[in-house]
Amino acid sequence: MTDHDVPLDFGDPADLDMLRRELRAWLTEHPLPRRRNGEPMAEFLHRWHRQLHSGGWVGLDVPERYGGRGLTALHQVAVSDELGACRAPGVPRIGYLAHALLEFCSEDQRARLLPRMLSGDDVWCQGFSEPGAGSDLAGMSTYARRSPDGGHYLINGQKLWTSYAQYSDYCLLLARTDRAAPAHSSITAFALPLNRAGVTVRPLRAANGDDEFCELFLDDVRVAVDERIGAEGDGWPLAMTTVNYERNALDTGHLSKYGLLLERLRRQLREHPDALPDGLVSAVGRCVVDYQVLVAHTRRRTAERLAGRPAGPESSVDKLLMTRAEQRLYETALAVLPEELHRDGGAVYGEYLYSRAASVYGGTSQIQRNIIAKRLLHLPSAS
Amino acid sequence: MEAEEFRLVREALRAFAADHRCDTAEVGQAERTTAQKSLDGLGLGELRRSTPPLASAQECALLAEEYGRQPLATSFLGTVLLAPEVLRLLAVTGRHAPYESRPTVALTRDLRFTGRYSDADHVAWDAEGAESALWIGDDGTVRALELGGPAPTTDLLRVVREAHPGTPDSVLGRLVPEQLQAWRAWALVMVSSELVGAAASFVEQSTAYARDRSQYGRPIGSFQAVRHLLADATVAVEACASATRYAAWCLDHAAPDTALAAARVAKAEVDVSAVEAVYAGMQVFGGIAQTWEHMAHLYLRRVRVGATVLTGTADLLTALALPPSGPHVVEAS
Repeated sequence: MTDHDVPLDFGDPADLDMLRRELRAWLTEHPLPRRRNGEPMAEFLHRWHRQLHSGGWVGLDVPERYGGRGLTALHQVAVSDELGACRAPGVPRIGYLAHALLEFCSEDQRARLLPRMLSGDDVWCQGFSEPGAGSDLAGMSTYARRSPDGGHYLINGQKLWTSYAQYSDYCLLLARTDRAAPAHSSITAFALPLNRAGVTVRPLRAANGDDEFCELFLDDVRVAVDERIGAEGDGWPLAMTTVNYERNALDTGHLSKYGLLLERLRRQLREHPDALPDGLVSAVGRCVVDYQVLVAHTRRRTAERLAGRPAGPESSVDKLLMTRAEQRLYETALAVLPEELHRDGGAVYGEYLYSRAASVYGGTSQIQRNIIAKRLLHLPSAS
Repeated sequence: MEAEEFRLVREALRAFAADHRCDTAEVGQAERTTAQKSLDGLGLGELRRSTPPLASAQECALLAEEYGRQPLATSFLGTVLLAPEVLRLLAVTGRHAPYESRPTVALTRDLRFTGRYSDADHVAWDAEGAESALWIGDDGTVRALELGGPAPTTDLLRVVREAHPGTPDSVLGRLVPEQLQAWRAWALVMVSSELVGAAASFVEQSTAYARDRSQYGRPIGSFQAVRHLLADATVAVEACASATRYAAWCLDHAAPDTALAAARVAKAEVDVSAVEAVYAGMQVFGGIAQTWEHMAHLYLRRVRVGATVLTGTADLLTALALPPSGPHVVEAS
């Protein structure tokens, strides 16, 4: 224990409670949309995004002049929490992109890009990973060559895992602008319009049948200098900021989702006590512990933010705890609800398959352990 | 407590622990007595004497964490935190005659919460410096038991003694159901907190060792197999800390049944993760941690016994999977 470990307030501040009530009232007047028959997930989520935005429920922690509400990350957490609790689809997954733009864009770019991102007028995707550079972003080879007159860049390369690129208008793209320099100073970020000549998007079918993941091919794609985000070389710190937000325990929409599934498992135990072997009761108990620990951990992080402690590499701890809870929960769900194991295309089986990705996306569990060893435990490196 | 006051209290406890930490399992009675006097001299018994108490549950839990960080042969949990809280709760309802003895808590012989029959086999847990032991029944009845000779335990630094009803039977009062829930939650949180402190400290010590110890010409902390082991142990400790600190906050701010549910979650997490964290640390220390002289087994003994103290993991997991229905159900664990 360090001296930082002082008593914290794990409760909700009063204005957060008000916000929650306000949102609940709004939700009763604006019922959740239904996914139409055959409607692609991304289009359904986009309709939901616009509906939420119409009520002022997108980008709560983004300043008002860029279309947000100028509140804190904790208000955003409360919204995410409430939506999960009423089985709504989560908040639009733009929080981490918005933060990257806020931190690294010019004033002009912020004013131009952010309000349209928040309203859903522009849909964004993230172009970081490549076939040869997943967790090891430094291995990226997509190259943006500056024209001799300095007026534009020509980008060539390939991106992978760009979620919902086929439904997107913009890609937050990372590319090298210097092939010789080390990654930390040679990666640059761009706001790339996906209708630009030379861009080809090819959806991949994921193990659960969804078409979320895409490949992105870039052949002599011309981007203007004012489409660059930040300076040349800012891409690395931008990526680090982004992944910290992505791994953060504070995006709690998934927590509510776990909670609802757990309730279903407990109901199954209560209603059919003899249909299941004894060991499964303990297994569900273990999932309850995982879940409640995650809730407590999230509250602790929230309280630490409120007490003025900034976020840092401990988000890797958060992500490993989240992965533990999610993977054990869906594994257990298939045992407690055996009919779901044989229902391909069912929600539980689909989420089970997706839970296997939890230890891969956003930096693999091995990368998170490396980060903890290096940046939290200060263990010496191999070299 | 003011932040500054809390800081001073914690510093005093830390200084005490640095002075009296045990390097071996062999601690003489004279040493134990001196250390206990020194601990008592800090006046921590006052923290929960009055109502409202001087220190919040969260502050007491953080002090229990601090206490758990070093191997100590004194009694803090039993005689300073657990038993006095029973007396404080009794005093709140006025169902308690002045009690002059210095008690610790009575547990069943396998160190679980006591249940229905006070004449069953009991021990006084964490009994250094204690003069009696409080038995708390499922119906809230609180009795004072008399102490006997030493009882066996594998947590060598912790004093456990035989305990039996005196004649005449001494009933001190009765906790109402909400108080019984609150006390059990309190006990689970404080015991868990001590184990969190032990696991956290041991992982820190093994991490420091991994930075210094060289093999194959480089620090063992540079090997990925070792790094990942310690990273996992760190995640385990953080999970324990989050769960226990939140449960402690619930003691201060939530209804007793909510606090008890959070306390059970904390204990269930700690029972598994604190032990795993200590295993990881021992693996990093390697052969030296398998010796009698090394402090590793003192930590292992504490967390391994601790994982069964008050209630066992199996009972907790069942209770958490199948919560009892009805607003006033108080269960044994």
